[in-house]
Amino acid sequence: MATLNEKKTCSERMADFRRFVWNPETKLFLGRSLINWVWISLYYVAFYVVMSGVFALSIYCLMRTINPYEPDYQDQLKSPGVTIRPDVYGSRGLQIYYNVSDNKTWEGLVTTLHTFLTAYTPAAQHLNINCTNNTYFIQETFDGPNKTKLSCKFTSDMLQNCSGITDPTFGYPEGKPCFIIKMNRIIKFYPGRGIAPRVNCTYVGEESRPLEVDYYPVNGTFNLHYFPYYGKKAQPSYSNPLVAVKFLNITKNVELKIVCKIIGAGITFDNVYDPYEGKVEFKLKIED
Amino acid sequence: MKVGCHASSSIHAPRPRQFGDKMSAVCCCAHCDFLSLGMQDDHRLSTSELEKKYGTSIDKGLSSARAAEILARDGPNALTPPKATPEIVKFLKQMIGGFSILLWIGAAFSWISFGIQLAQGVDSAFDNLYLGVVLALVVILTGIFAYYQEAKSTNIMASFSKMIPQQALVLRDAEKKELPADQLVVGDIVEIKGGDRIPADIRLIFTQGCKVDNSSLTGESEPQSRSCDFTHENPLETRNIAFYSTTCVEVCVPAGTATGIVINTGDRTIIGRIASLASGVGNEKTPIAIEIEHFVYLVAGVAISIGVLFFIISVSMRYKILDSIIFLIGIIVANVPEGLLATVTVSLSLTAKRMAKKNCLVKNLEAVETLGSTSIICSDKTGTLTQNRMTVAHLWFDNQIYSADTSEDQTTQSFDQSSPSWAALSKIVTLCNRAEFRPGQENLPIMKRVVVGDASETALLKFSEVILGDVMNIRAQNKKVAEIPFNSTNKFQLSIHETDDPHDKRFLLVMKGAPERILERCSTIMINGKEEPLDSEKAEAFQTAYMELGGMGERVLGFCHLYLPENEFPETFQFDTDSMNFPTSNLCFVGLLSMIDPPRSTVPDAVSKCRSAGIKVIMVTGDHPITAKAIAKSVGIISATSETVEDIAKRLNIPVEQVNRREATAAVVNGMELKEMSAEQLDEILREHAEIVFARTSPQQKLIIVEGCQRQGAVVAVTGDGVNDSPALKKADIGIAMGIAGSDAAKNAADMVLLDDNFASIVTGVEEGRLIFDNLKKTIAYTLTKNIAELCPFLIYIIASIPMPIGTITILFIDLGTDIIPSVALAYEKAESDIMNRRPRNKRRDRLVNEQLAVYSYLQIGIMQSVGAFVTYFTVYAEQGFLPSTLLGVRVDWESNAINDFEDSYGQQWTKYQRTYLQWTGYTAFFVSITIQQVADLIIRKTRRNSIFRQGLFRNKVIWVGIFSQIGIALILTYGLGHVTALNFTPLRFQYWFVAVPFAILIWVYDEIRKLLIRRYPGSWWDKNMYY
Repeated sequence: MATLNEKKTCSERMADFRRFVWNPETKLFLGRSLINWVWISLYYVAFYVVMSGVFALSIYCLMRTINPYEPDYQDQLKSPGVTIRPDVYGSRGLQIYYNVSDNKTWEGLVTTLHTFLTAYTPAAQHLNINCTNNTYFIQETFDGPNKTKLSCKFTSDMLQNCSGITDPTFGYPEGKPCFIIKMNRIIKFYPGRGIAPRVNCTYVGEESRPLEVDYYPVNGTFNLHYFPYYGKKAQPSYSNPLVAVKFLNITKNVELKIVCKIIGAGITFDNVYDPYEGKVEFKLKIED
Repeated sequence: MKVGCHASSSIHAPRPRQFGDKMSAVCCCAHCDFLSLGMQDDHRLSTSELEKKYGTSIDKGLSSARAAEILARDGPNALTPPKATPEIVKFLKQMIGGFSILLWIGAAFSWISFGIQLAQGVDSAFDNLYLGVVLALVVILTGIFAYYQEAKSTNIMASFSKMIPQQALVLRDAEKKELPADQLVVGDIVEIKGGDRIPADIRLIFTQGCKVDNSSLTGESEPQSRSCDFTHENPLETRNIAFYSTTCVEVCVPAGTATGIVINTGDRTIIGRIASLASGVGNEKTPIAIEIEHFVYLVAGVAISIGVLFFIISVSMRYKILDSIIFLIGIIVANVPEGLLATVTVSLSLTAKRMAKKNCLVKNLEAVETLGSTSIICSDKTGTLTQNRMTVAHLWFDNQIYSADTSEDQTTQSFDQSSPSWAALSKIVTLCNRAEFRPGQENLPIMKRVVVGDASETALLKFSEVILGDVMNIRAQNKKVAEIPFNSTNKFQLSIHETDDPHDKRFLLVMKGAPERILERCSTIMINGKEEPLDSEKAEAFQTAYMELGGMGERVLGFCHLYLPENEFPETFQFDTDSMNFPTSNLCFVGLLSMIDPPRSTVPDAVSKCRSAGIKVIMVTGDHPITAKAIAKSVGIISATSETVEDIAKRLNIPVEQVNRREATAAVVNGMELKEMSAEQLDEILREHAEIVFARTSPQQKLIIVEGCQRQGAVVAVTGDGVNDSPALKKADIGIAMGIAGSDAAKNAADMVLLDDNFASIVTGVEEGRLIFDNLKKTIAYTLTKNIAELCPFLIYIIASIPMPIGTITILFIDLGTDIIPSVALAYEKAESDIMNRRPRNKRRDRLVNEQLAVYSYLQIGIMQSVGAFVTYFTVYAEQGFLPSTLLGVRVDWESNAINDFEDSYGQQWTKYQRTYLQWTGYTAFFVSITIQQVADLIIRKTRRNSIFRQGLFRNKVIWVGIFSQIGIALILTYGLGHVTALNFTPLRFQYWFVAVPFAILIWVYDEIRKLLIRRYPGSWWDKNMYY
């Protein structure tokens, strides 16, 4: 069979390489003459300028077709996600552990809630209107200033005992902590089909006694006049309605698994892949 | 009667050849001493001495017990097959060869990061475990595939070499037994019949007129006679030894068998020693293996340097080391064309299959391409360039030379047959001939029938059968009454017949033989049917014709006859061949017939193809220079206008020394001259002369010639059939063994087996080899292109922190899924132009993957594909809510499990899973747009220079199979497996399939412009930089 003995020593290879980088006889730098390098570089500069232009043009065309008020598709947003505050993520999801007798363990949680609720002070909400209807707030036209739509006011005082106003510690030192449940915004989503969706928190699995919960506002409902959402551009001052839950009978020193679901037509919570769709699950352990 | 068996082996004019000649030529090589040293002096010993030496008896043979003892000592009488690489080593080589090592590194990194993440308790740790497993699986599966392909092509050969076990007739325990030949031991008494293969090296002790065909050992095609007599000091040349693997052609009738003592078995036989020499010649890399290695280095170099560069960048951008390692894996996977080596193997084996259909059986897949880069073919003459059968080529009667048809399938002869002289000549040719057709072949074409008789008589028999029809019937009508077979003293053959005319009671005496001897016995010559006195003028004409025919390298025979007068030889006359009671002089000379082993009819065309393809054809033959030159001229190896030094000397009438050697384009080199030449002189001959014939060479000298050619930097193909050819076959870049005439040893040493022994098949092989080289370029260019489109996402992901555009697993689905069939389909592409009109590629300069190919694929088409794919990516994200501006820099939050209300450009909020699912949709869209653009890439890669429209979009149907498979697989992955989350595919909205279409068209248009400019401005800057 073939015999191509091209075995070279290391120094020969190095010499070959050096000759390739700069060949003094033919005046070739990396196998090309300098003028050739200039030409090829110019060509590539031109090529990439044109390609960048093509890319920019494509993106420009794309942006021209995009509706600024609402996305073309909401394939992934069939049912809203649910989040909870305060949210502390451990290696296996939400884990809220604190010790009643140790301020440091719960002060952070309380601060989180205060910070979160700053968006719901009357001052922050002053652009929004007071709504009283218990039906969907459907706006076909742009009634707000600067071609916007109106949003309904949600202030933290609606959360009563969990507003942080009456009880700045949200019940954490007493072992009866408040949690705030928030439903993700989805444009033109009508939750509950006319019936206000409500939050329902239970233990996961068998527990000896049922979980006692206080819901704020009453019944833990999201009032329908906060829906539908018309998008950031139409409703720049929109804020999500909230539901606060206060757990009253938490057994101390035990890790409890609690799930808060949003009950309402059109909101699903049985997606096995997405633990935050229509529900939020968390572990709670209060020590003393 | 003893001499009778030697039938006309040496009556024929210019071929006085002896085995000794051949062997002395052999001895010029160093191996020869080694061969003779190994031989004992058995040929000198008498029968009784032999009996004593081997403890055997001529009448009784060995005892079974003793034979078993010796068998246990010496081992079976078989050649040790060449040491094969153990299967497991072959398999492991596939596992770590090529890109596998890079992928193993990738897998190892995946497992390391899995371990670290698991320890840290990260949710997604198992993704890395799976990725590692997938990478390992990819390596193992492609390894198994390559191993299987390799094994399959080896199996073709294995089945080829498996032969029916040979039997030998042995005398043991005073009984004759049929034993398998590998059971023979030293000292066994064996009997050999005509047609048997000699089962071991044998010292003959009883024989009558035995002849052996030593061609497998020495390349000498003329049968050698064997006797019990010690005729030469050298064991290789003495007549009383017959060698293993040679064939006993015939044994004289009365005894029917020859008897001998086995003196050497297995690897200790002469053949065994030569075979072990052959395996000593190193087995080096094929040109295509070097090219693929070069390509692997190139791609691996790019992968590693980009990987390391971005590892450093990502570390300095404060990514975690672990994340950086994961990026590194992605970059490696994106850069390595996982499916490519398998594709190359498939393409080569497809070509090998195509070549097998054209009678070239390729043992080693890579040899397919080697044949394409061949620049010198050293070809045998007999059987390869010629038909390997004597055929009547010329006739001389009535003072005129007639040419006969020598093609393979002649059914008539067209020369002028009206002369009465021809009638007389044809009668002599028919009657004075002992050859006969084997019965039962009436339905076969005459040229295919088997004949009992020697080569010349066979030629004459077939010739007369073609012209006259039923020869046997003619012979029956002219009953033979007496006969003197040929012998070397008389140099003629004579027979006396009754005539077929019932009224003519005369006897007809017919004679043929060496022309000068026949002429001596004649006093008249027949001209136009009339007997005329043979005067000096007519004798002169005879001489001229004889010289002319002899000068064409043909064997010439003279024919004469005499009607015996009725009064002297009445019907009842008893002819006595011993006392010769009939006249054998004053005969009437009728004519001459000359014979040659004619060239195969396809060969001249093939040689001229080689010439236009820049391949030098060198004839290497053991034949006489005149015959060799005549055949070389008739097939075009020496073209009509070129002259040798001797020709010029003759034309100018000056001594050979004064001729300017540079003027002679052709050279005929004698083996004897070659023996005395230094390497430099041989180099000079090979360099200076375009047309070279080596005559009278031994197979060993072939090795020297091959080495000489390789010193010129040529890729050398060598044909061979004998065992002695195997070192040359091994040494050559591609050894070609003859399938019909070839010995097993030659087939073992060769890379390719020519099933029909036809030179023209080599040329078709060359064409296929060149085509596959071109097509592999296309395949590689096609495959490399999308690597950039797979790589860019990682780079941009690292730098711009956008959500990951394409996943590692998805990349594997492109490399090993959608891209495989299209890249194989390019192997079916027809040649763009006549590939047999360009020079063979220079193995140092014309690389498979050159700078232009890599740069054009990576930096131009690859970039265009990336742009197209990114536009699709941004479109999908924008239409779902994330405008391009929002995407920049979001990576950390996007991938955070702790953020489940991630806000998009419209203020909507997304959970982690919703984002991940969108990311998969992005993968799918990116995948789909690469696939769509690869369709365009596939179409542009059909040609490198011509317009697609000239090549034809539909001529290669397999390309369309490729395109449909590509799209089909993409559809299945997207819509069929879109719900299997582990694969990271999601069903994709239909319109996203078309986002990349404008870019696909752009690629096509751009490449058409590139090709147009290349065609328009050959040799320009554009041509140099854009043609790959």
